[in-house]
Amino acid sequence: MISWFHIPPAQRPLFSLFVPALLVLALCCFCSLLFGAGGLSLQASFQTLLGNGSADDQFTVFHLRANRTLVGLFVGLTLGIAGALMQAVARNPLAEPGLLGVSAGSSFAVAITLVLGASTATLTVGIAQLGALIGCICVLSVARMQGQHNDPIRLVLAGAALSSLLLAVTSLLLLFDQRAADEIRFWVTGSVAGRDTNTLFSLLPSMLIAGLCILYAAKPLASLALGERVAIGLGHKPQRIRAVVIVAVALLVGGATAIAGPVAFIGLVVPFAARALVGPDIRRTLWLCLPLGPIIVIAADVVSRLVAQPAEMPLGVLTAIIGAPVLLLIVRSRRMPTL
Amino acid sequence: MINQSLSLPNDEEVTSAPSGHCLLPLGRNAILLIEKPAIIRNAWLLTLLAIACIATLGIGTMPISPKEVIAVLFGHGSSMSQFIVQDLRLPRLLAALFTGAAFSLAGCLMQTMARNRLATPGIIGIDNAAMAFAVSSVVGMGISLAPSVMALAGAATATALAFGLAGGSGTRGYRFIVAGIGIGAIAGAITQLLLSQVSIDVANSAYPWTVGSLSARDPMMVKVLGIGLGVCLVACLLFASQFALMPFSDQVITALGANIKSIRIITLVLCITLTGLAVAVAGPVGLVALIGPEIARVLARYRGIPLISSALTGALVMIIADLFGRTVLSPIELPVGIVTAVVGGPYLIWILVRRTSRTSL
Repeated sequence: MISWFHIPPAQRPLFSLFVPALLVLALCCFCSLLFGAGGLSLQASFQTLLGNGSADDQFTVFHLRANRTLVGLFVGLTLGIAGALMQAVARNPLAEPGLLGVSAGSSFAVAITLVLGASTATLTVGIAQLGALIGCICVLSVARMQGQHNDPIRLVLAGAALSSLLLAVTSLLLLFDQRAADEIRFWVTGSVAGRDTNTLFSLLPSMLIAGLCILYAAKPLASLALGERVAIGLGHKPQRIRAVVIVAVALLVGGATAIAGPVAFIGLVVPFAARALVGPDIRRTLWLCLPLGPIIVIAADVVSRLVAQPAEMPLGVLTAIIGAPVLLLIVRSRRMPTL
Repeated sequence: MINQSLSLPNDEEVTSAPSGHCLLPLGRNAILLIEKPAIIRNAWLLTLLAIACIATLGIGTMPISPKEVIAVLFGHGSSMSQFIVQDLRLPRLLAALFTGAAFSLAGCLMQTMARNRLATPGIIGIDNAAMAFAVSSVVGMGISLAPSVMALAGAATATALAFGLAGGSGTRGYRFIVAGIGIGAIAGAITQLLLSQVSIDVANSAYPWTVGSLSARDPMMVKVLGIGLGVCLVACLLFASQFALMPFSDQVITALGANIKSIRIITLVLCITLTGLAVAVAGPVGLVALIGPEIARVLARYRGIPLISSALTGALVMIIADLFGRTVLSPIELPVGIVTAVVGGPYLIWILVRRTSRTSL
């Protein structure tokens, strides 16, 4: 009897992982409705879910907690997929929107709109996505010029440099505007609590476009993993694939940042876990990222409510604490895996 | 400046120095080998630094002529200008001088150790960790010690983590850098967490810490930094000959009879002390650690490790950046950390973008 773990990741049937992952995701969502900081006890939450709770309890469970679960679902989905795409296009396992300054570009754009008079509630999503696009192009063009296959570290350094630059300019803007500084103080931590779900609906068109981009690019991206020449030989156009993928990443990351603020390391952890489970093929990785991203974000969010009761720990801090060890793990692995 | 002291066998007379050097006999058995270009270079830098200092003391909302500034420094001058120069501008100038020199010297040491010019304390997260600890003491969370003590503790923690998790810095310098980036990210997140938990007034009082600023610094901490910087400079000169070995590979250093581990530990301790104290005074102005040694290295044209020149250029950069931030948008004051980040960020990206760049030292 060969155990499942003896099958090499690349040969494992996808559905044998996808279906259990969906079940785990459902469990996470259930926990997210059940657990929480504050006065509502576990039993009361359960009773409310069954339909017999007071109006206050129903508001807590079906409005507050349901909303943040929904936002967590969205953020995990977008950031996980964006991380996988970015790593595939940069052929670098360390490429992560948070580390590479894509989120910082988005934050910068958001800070500008705040200073110009918008409040976080009426924030225009398109601007966050535009900022993400500019950050993405900046950092990937730096890496491209160097021949990214040889030096995975350079990309991270370029990202760190870009992030620190953008953060400095952001703080510069906020120096002039006290109100914006007060608003952004809560936003930059990255959290799924108390976010406006109406923004989710306004994001739907851009997510549709991102989805179409991914559908177009997934197969060529898989052949790009074999090398640029092979991809050209197979009739693909690497430049065009990259452009499409960058647009998709910008739409996804910009959308997630507009809703939840910069949440780092999700784009690193999710594809890492997915690759470990189903191997390096980008199409299989993307499928598994779909449930894995929300699982990790929602689980982290539930933990963030429970560890520091009665207060809450912001999600961004928790993901940094989960993500940094994974970063070290990738770097410490004997041979820096190239994609 | 002082390259190394050589002890010579008794029977050998040393009569002439290598070109570009001069000899200074020290007792019977030892001589000091002094590099002339380095002396000239550092004299130039000192002159520039003095001019910058006098300019900084004179420029402001109440301009004071250089002549008057010099008169005040020697104890003369009107009481008005004495008050402005001595009580208002001098403490800030000293803070800029010391923090610039400390950051830049630490950067030079760490770049040499990791054999990578991008490996500065700011990039590998020491700044962020020191800041997180210092902010935690400012906003009154957890243990409340003096911010300088907390900053030192943070710097030491981050370095130990990065060094330990990466498994040393030797042949795998890049691991050290990436481990540091990860730790810096965590520390940054913790700072954001602390700032989001307190009221806006407390957050505002901690805000200069998070961007790096020289206004209204604690004079006590500046004094501590000055003493620490002096001690570290002397230590750097004592160990200069050992630091000069670091660009070689581990095998070469061991073959030359030096202990690579102890050299690394000394370097790390110096870096932690300098960065921790400097962050305690001014907050994270890490890019000075990147720019200062770079200018010093260009001036030195790759002759050895420019320790003293790095300290001098760092101080110069800091003073000019602070002067710029203080005057250009007056009456609004730009924190010095923002000025250096806006200037240094593009420069850092430029280092990475250059096709034939030499990121390794």
